[in-house]
Amino acid sequence: MIEINQLTKTFTSQDGTPVHALGGVDLTVNDNEFLTLLGPSGCGKTTMLKMIAGLQGWDGGTITIDGKAVTGPGPDRSMVFQNFALLPWATVMDNVCFGLRLRGTERRAREERAQELIEMVGLSGFESKRPGELSGGMQQRVGIARALAVDPQILLMDEPFGAVDEQTRRLLQEELLSIWERNRLTVVFVTHSMEEAVLLGDRVVLMSARPGQISEIVEVPLARPRSSDVGGLERSREYTEITAHLWDQLRSMHSEHRAVEAVR
Amino acid sequence: MTSLTHEPERSARPAMLNRLDSPLTYQILTFALFAIGWQIYGTFFGGLLVPTFTETVAALVPTLVSAEFWEAFVVSNQALVLGFAAAVAIGVPTGIVLGRFRTLERLSNVYLNILLVTPMAAIIPLLVMSVGFGLLSRVILVTLFAVVMIIVNVRAGIRQVDPSLIQMARTFGAGEAQIWREILLPGALPSIMTGIRLGLGRAVTGMVIVELLMVSLALGGLILEYRGSFNGPALYAVIVAIIAEALVLISAAQWLERRIAPWAPSAGKARS
Ligand SMILES: Nc1ncnc2c1ncn2[C@@H]1O[C@H](COP(=O)(O)OP(=O)(O)OP(=O)(O)O)[C@@H](O)[C@H]1O
Ligand SMILES: [Mg+2]
Repeated sequence: MIEINQLTKTFTSQDGTPVHALGGVDLTVNDNEFLTLLGPSGCGKTTMLKMIAGLQGWDGGTITIDGKAVTGPGPDRSMVFQNFALLPWATVMDNVCFGLRLRGTERRAREERAQELIEMVGLSGFESKRPGELSGGMQQRVGIARALAVDPQILLMDEPFGAVDEQTRRLLQEELLSIWERNRLTVVFVTHSMEEAVLLGDRVVLMSARPGQISEIVEVPLARPRSSDVGGLERSREYTEITAHLWDQLRSMHSEHRAVEAVR
Repeated sequence: MTSLTHEPERSARPAMLNRLDSPLTYQILTFALFAIGWQIYGTFFGGLLVPTFTETVAALVPTLVSAEFWEAFVVSNQALVLGFAAAVAIGVPTGIVLGRFRTLERLSNVYLNILLVTPMAAIIPLLVMSVGFGLLSRVILVTLFAVVMIIVNVRAGIRQVDPSLIQMARTFGAGEAQIWREILLPGALPSIMTGIRLGLGRAVTGMVIVELLMVSLALGGLILEYRGSFNGPALYAVIVAIIAEALVLISAAQWLERRIAPWAPSAGKARS
């Protein structure tokens, strides 16, 4: 369980003015929950995810995982990056092995494990290709396999499908759902897309900007497993209602923001 | 699956041949035009010091078999080899450190800029006064010529390593040493190789300039001597030989660059 208490963070921008990235965020993520974070650009989604990952410090508040305070990265957490963050010089196999290698897993064991994951994400036959030879969707499959190879309890995903085309994105969403359904895994998933947030999440955390705060948490009552009938879900009334509600909220945030900008 | 992985290779083949073919064709074509132009100019306006293309080629043969040329070649290249090796040994670590540590970079920027913009020939008298005419001052000059290129490229290479790769490594628990070994150095390798290649070009320039301006010796000395005796064809032959050496060295560096860093899309093409 991830427990976030009164988390605050203020950055100083280049010109010296303070940027209130997070203004007192409280959030609990349950074990094996799929939580999606949705909000306008600049509301602190990435910042919060990096804090959970242990990559970014904060000013006030606490983050604990199963009762232990987060002080840095740990083997219980993996991250998937929007820009894939693959090593361009390494093959698919070596990229998937990377985390295991850093953690000192012996070669045979890590290649066996990597092979399993490469098969799971559907990249068999591409083991010796380099990222430059793969499409964006395939590159993110490598990113997901790499993150899962170290057997994390928590998977942190920062707009993982933001850089792939619409069709590939839909396929990857279904695959992620089915991977999550088959593994015990807590996922915190940042996205810009209301549809994606609703389709994937057990709960959607809606954030607002300046300072970054949670404005609403929406339960998604859609039945699981969802991977088998994504099309049906998308036509269901609940799905349509929740996405419409989220868009109403986001739209009012955007117009408020415009009003603030206008006053300045 | 197999047909999927093989198909791109098969269709990539003729495309690759095309890409190799066309620049070569253009190179041969432009060279032919250049040779014809040279021949015409040399024949009608050349006078004593501008030989024709054919005369130069004819002079190239005896030059390339003469002991005099090869002695000069060896002496010149001593300075090149030592000076370039020193430039790499100094430039690569310096560039790496400057790329990673911002404060050091700010402190050193002025000096790098001085090195970049100062016409190196201007410091030759200084060198002669402090180190003398020996091999050492030639080596130092070659080093000075080459080292800036290497430092600047290596520094850029370290700096442009994608920060999200470093974060990615951190999430897997990488320490500073692992980040250097696994991310920064391999990430900067293409630029390090580019720096070495461009530095090599500068080193050859340095080698010739120091011999022309400081000590009339070796290849530079031959150039001055042939000029003094109005031996146009031989003069041109020496120059052509120097150019040929530079081209061979640069091509070798380019080849090495592509071998060592084949993932870099622009290896050997960029910034040349
Ligand atoms: N290192 C930093 N220095 C200064 N300001 C920063 C830094 N990192 C983030 N910020 C600021 O903090 C705020 C939140 O940034 P963050 O990247 O978390 O937003 P986000 O919700 O992920 O946005 P997006 O949807 O565009 O990715 C932004 O206003 C951003 O400019
Ligand atoms: Mg973000």
